[in-house]
Amino acid sequence: MTDTRPLRAAVIGAGRMGMIHGHLLSVYPETEVVAFVDSNTGLREHLASQGLRAPFYPSVEALFSAASPEAVFVCTPTNTHLPVVRACLARPVHLFVEKPLATTRADAEAILRLATEAQVVHAAGYVYAHLPIVQAAHDLLTKGVLGEVLRFTAHAYVSEVFGPKRGWFFQQEQAGGGVVANMASHLLFILGWFFGPIRRVVATTRSHASAIDDSAQALLTFASGVTGLLDTSWSMPGAQMLDYGVTIDGRRGTLVLCRDRILLHLLLPAPGHEAGWSQIHASDLPADTAFDVSPHIGGEAFYRQLHSFVQACRTGTLPFCSLQEACNTQRMIDAIYASAASGVSVEVS
Amino acid sequence: MSHLILELRPPESQHYASWRDRLETVARYSQPDEVHALCEKAYALGAHTILAVFDDTIREALVAFQRWRDVEVWAVVPNMFAFIRDLTDLGVVGATRARFMRLTPPAMVRTGFRTMFALDGIRRRDLAIGTMLVSDMELAALRGLRVTRLFLHPQVTEIALAAGAPAVFMALAATAQRLGIEAGLVTHNPLRAAAVLGPELRRFAPIIAPCNSKGYKMFPNREECERLFRSDPAHFIAAEVTAGGTLAPEAALAHTRALGLSGAVLDARTVEAAFRAGTAASIGSSDCDGRAA
Repeated sequence: MTDTRPLRAAVIGAGRMGMIHGHLLSVYPETEVVAFVDSNTGLREHLASQGLRAPFYPSVEALFSAASPEAVFVCTPTNTHLPVVRACLARPVHLFVEKPLATTRADAEAILRLATEAQVVHAAGYVYAHLPIVQAAHDLLTKGVLGEVLRFTAHAYVSEVFGPKRGWFFQQEQAGGGVVANMASHLLFILGWFFGPIRRVVATTRSHASAIDDSAQALLTFASGVTGLLDTSWSMPGAQMLDYGVTIDGRRGTLVLCRDRILLHLLLPAPGHEAGWSQIHASDLPADTAFDVSPHIGGEAFYRQLHSFVQACRTGTLPFCSLQEACNTQRMIDAIYASAASGVSVEVS
Repeated sequence: MSHLILELRPPESQHYASWRDRLETVARYSQPDEVHALCEKAYALGAHTILAVFDDTIREALVAFQRWRDVEVWAVVPNMFAFIRDLTDLGVVGATRARFMRLTPPAMVRTGFRTMFALDGIRRRDLAIGTMLVSDMELAALRGLRVTRLFLHPQVTEIALAAGAPAVFMALAATAQRLGIEAGLVTHNPLRAAAVLGPELRRFAPIIAPCNSKGYKMFPNREECERLFRSDPAHFIAAEVTAGGTLAPEAALAHTRALGLSGAVLDARTVEAAFRAGTAASIGSSDCDGRAA
């Protein structure tokens, strides 16, 4: 029998992402926001002015002494994810952690270990992977439409940093890095989801505006043998947040994934696909979203991300965007920084 | 007769189909003359209204364009793309202060007077007060431009609709009333807007929402959105009419006309596509708002 009670969720961290998750949890029909947590209690009135009036607590301990959420959304600065997760998982509570998972691979793997030992459902906030067009590209690859995948080129650009920055998001210790950790990680997650575990990385990074990496180029080799190049910058004029694309070459043809469409060129026909050019536009895909919280940024992906997590909690299964997959992303992030610092290729075990 | 509206947005808010598309868009939006030329093309199609999120280039282009043409400007405030960049770096109060410091001295004086009455709200980081304060700053910088309608940026609109918080919409309506102009809504969630605002929805005219024959960006679905549109078609203007460029402009506009909507928003790509396809004349003659091009 299906449980139809709303999933009771608490949002930990009342900054920008905590606010967005709070709004989504309010509008999604199968969830209820039971609490917000932030050490900055001045944010209580800020949330209330937006209609977010759930009880507000100054700490995780205060939350659990007063309420019993079934799930927590961890939206605090990245360097605090591990202690927050450890405090939350003192009791079984399903876990959603905003991206990136941690500032280091060791912390990310510790978070995964805690969640696995607690036997809870877990997911990471790599929201762009939930866009229908990205999922359609994944389906095509999984069906083998391209045949054996050989290589790719990818880019991720944002108009964000054009001078010195002061916020926590731009501090190495708190954010774990710059454009690679905080923006390109969305695309790294998608690449890992498409091609599997990472094996080797050669990379270079450059700081030309802020004190952390503002641009990076990486040669990524996956255990599956797929090899490709990533170019990223958050100092790109006129780039929507996040403007990304991937061109994937296989033995049977080429797939170009853009923000709102897939271009497919097949040298040979594949089941359901003729040889030659075809296009799948986002408008051709089934619509299954009831609310668009952010038309110009994540669009319907935020709603689909929440839907995926809630259904996983209902069924006790791990979603595709689990912390395990997010750890693969974290290994790529760590290896890119390690290679850029050392100037040599980094093998990832 | 329906109304055609050209939409202008800073390039960092756009999706690109290709690298060349990005370069051309960035190049266009870095030069007021290029934006002005786009406005002329849209005017020739019958678009005598501009819906704009402002940056310096767009503002300068529209000030010049209004000297030549009798066009309405509908302002979408605040420019959340720029504000979010500041927000990530400086927080709410810091971002607001940074916006204030970028004003000209006369605009600072005009805005500063109203800020005195909003200090408590700023301290509390009240969404409605903060949003309208930043909007006031943008409007103060638009002196010289004739703005006839005021809209809230969709990033704020959707957040406020999600939580069912009508205060920010009432604040927008009050600001519009003070300026002697009308307030409207731009949203991807018109049904939610109807549910949250109830009878107050009538205060916002028009409501601009996605409408196309593919149901693209129509949330929760095409059927429910069209039912709402049919209940009062003159109250709505169609956005996303070409479903991301997958429908021909004439067919797309015919669909919105068949529903009886009061107008349609065209983006730069649709305007250029109409000229390239040689269909500009048919769009202009069939859909203009009654004035000569």
